[in-house]
Amino acid sequence: MEGEHHEPSADAVLREINGFGADGELLNSYLQMKDDGSTSGGCWIYTGVYADGVNQAARRKPAKEQGAVASEWGWAWPLNRRMLYNRASADPDGKPWSERKKYVWWDEDAGEWTGLDIPDFEKNKRPDYVPPEGARAQDALAGNDPFVMQGDGKAWLFAPAGVVDGPLPTHYEPAESVVENGLYKQQANPTLEMIEGPWNRANPTRSDVFPFAVTTYRLTEHHTAGGMSRTLPYLAELQPEFFVEVSPELAQLRGLTHNDYATLVSARTAIEAKVLVTERVRPIRLRDGTVVHQIGMPYHWSYSGISTGDAANDLLGIVMDANTHIQESKVSTCDIRPGRRPRGPELLEFVESYRRRADVPSGRVGVNGRDPVDAKAGEGSTL
Amino acid sequence: MTSVSSASPGLAQNDPKNRLFGPLPDVSAEAGYVEEHPKRVGFFTDTSVCIGCKACEVACKEWNTLPMDDADGKRDAIGMSGMSYDNTGMLGANSWRHVAFIEQTRVVDLPMPAVGLPGAKNRPETTELPPPDTGDVNTTAKAQASVLNAEALAEFDPQTGQSGADKQIRWLMSSDVCKHCTHAGCLDVCPTGALFRTEFGTVVVQQDICNGCGYCVPSCPYGVIDQRKDDGRVFKCTMCYDRLTDGLQPACATACPTQSIQFGDLDELQARADARLATLQEQGVETARLYGRDENDGVGERARFSCCSTSRRSTACRRTRS
Repeated sequence: MEGEHHEPSADAVLREINGFGADGELLNSYLQMKDDGSTSGGCWIYTGVYADGVNQAARRKPAKEQGAVASEWGWAWPLNRRMLYNRASADPDGKPWSERKKYVWWDEDAGEWTGLDIPDFEKNKRPDYVPPEGARAQDALAGNDPFVMQGDGKAWLFAPAGVVDGPLPTHYEPAESVVENGLYKQQANPTLEMIEGPWNRANPTRSDVFPFAVTTYRLTEHHTAGGMSRTLPYLAELQPEFFVEVSPELAQLRGLTHNDYATLVSARTAIEAKVLVTERVRPIRLRDGTVVHQIGMPYHWSYSGISTGDAANDLLGIVMDANTHIQESKVSTCDIRPGRRPRGPELLEFVESYRRRADVPSGRVGVNGRDPVDAKAGEGSTL
Repeated sequence: MTSVSSASPGLAQNDPKNRLFGPLPDVSAEAGYVEEHPKRVGFFTDTSVCIGCKACEVACKEWNTLPMDDADGKRDAIGMSGMSYDNTGMLGANSWRHVAFIEQTRVVDLPMPAVGLPGAKNRPETTELPPPDTGDVNTTAKAQASVLNAEALAEFDPQTGQSGADKQIRWLMSSDVCKHCTHAGCLDVCPTGALFRTEFGTVVVQQDICNGCGYCVPSCPYGVIDQRKDDGRVFKCTMCYDRLTDGLQPACATACPTQSIQFGDLDELQARADARLATLQEQGVETARLYGRDENDGVGERARFSCCSTSRRSTACRRTRS
């Protein structure tokens, strides 16, 4: 804010985030920050965005007027480094691995790291630096340890500790997939956290009942699930209705009409959305000749606001990554058919019929929301 | 009897005051601003860098407090248009900026940077097409590995593994707004004087004078000016007249993050647009053109013109290969 009763000045806010020194001067680098309370800053990674009193983020020097790193186009945190851990672009001795790809290297004469980008390494730490016994913090990292935010300064491909699905990375298909894992015999990650319950039945993988791949994504006009943007007239009118995007091929296969309703079904529920038929969505032909159809589903809608619609997330199961406990079901499977979905009890029976066809346990929820099938479903269940 | 027809005396071009087309050196002076007045201002809209964020549309509605409307211009209604991601549909009484999303399909020539070793000089060029797909994994891999330039890449679709006649698709984000014509049909027919020429050379409706006769609506050759059905009066872009008088840029140009909408003195913008066109053509975008730049066509010069191309080659990000 500049003045008590004025509109907030974005420029002043940015300067405050950049931070000030003891005499009110703008800081140029987070390395100038002190732990004695004499300096301020909104967040250390942004210190330097206003270096030399210039809004560095607003720089727009064209690529052809500067080097390949384009350091003078905008600004990147921290310290305008465009590639993190870039000391790894040089070999243990500090020389570029490849002259053609040189990026950051050790300048012996100057006694410092230099290069095309801002080195992401202590400027004067020699490549042959070996930490003395009992060294702490960054002093404990050697001159050939580029991954400076890691405890040991190293990047791990083989990770014997820390991840439950290590020690080596591989590819798994999502919990619900229309294809076989082409890389590895294990179809899906065996450590996935599955949540059992009638309200969270899983689509069998490679099921004829749920033959299409579906994925969610965002539009420019709405924010995440839409709770903050569906209430705003000027955003709601720009993306006014829940829609799914399908290829002309899938539209023909299922008899879907452009700009009309379709119903999407999973073992959880059925939702309805308008159909946008577009060549931007394309079927995928697999190696064995199978064609997989995909459905794109912006997920910004629910029942409240100016622009309302069914919630895309209702279609998805709750399956969590075992390391982050974040939902894994970004990609899932479903069926799609023309027309609006049934309402009320008819909807429940409609979805139940899909479950029967797919050989999935009942989704009927018993008394107090407890699973009539699985007695362990809820504490105190007597069923 | 001469062979010239029904053309009105205004078409004879001998009296600039009556002329209905062609350039006018000073529209504001023509409209009575005989003493010193600001230079004529306008927009240069460069569709080759528009990213379709619609910040211009929202900024326009915010600043001018326009009501929500659906794709048919129906006030206080919303609804999907089915025209790709564009649900504004058209310019109207409640939408003074419109960015259309036009999905363009073509068979070849994907505008992508050439593929090659970074920094490698004398990048190998090939006009060879990848071999036809036999369904064999090795052939497919080889075809992928042999793709060395954008044309060949466009020929090969890694998703279907097919070579040859495959489609690529892109969006043309086509931004449109009132042209503030030199010879403005709306202004010419307005019986009340509600429409007037400003000192900036723009054309603005005075809402407290408009009586809703609607003559201007069919007089606009671009379908810009429009009546609010429940109100009767007409509305259109004012080029943010209120902002201009305070030395500010119009809301849309201010909000545009890519400088696709450029505002400024018309003569300066014309020079900038000519330079931009030359750049695009130099980069191989042969079909790039300026729309509304020619002072001798139609309504005379427009205080808003755009750089556009109907072909897929128009993206500015397309790089020339040396």
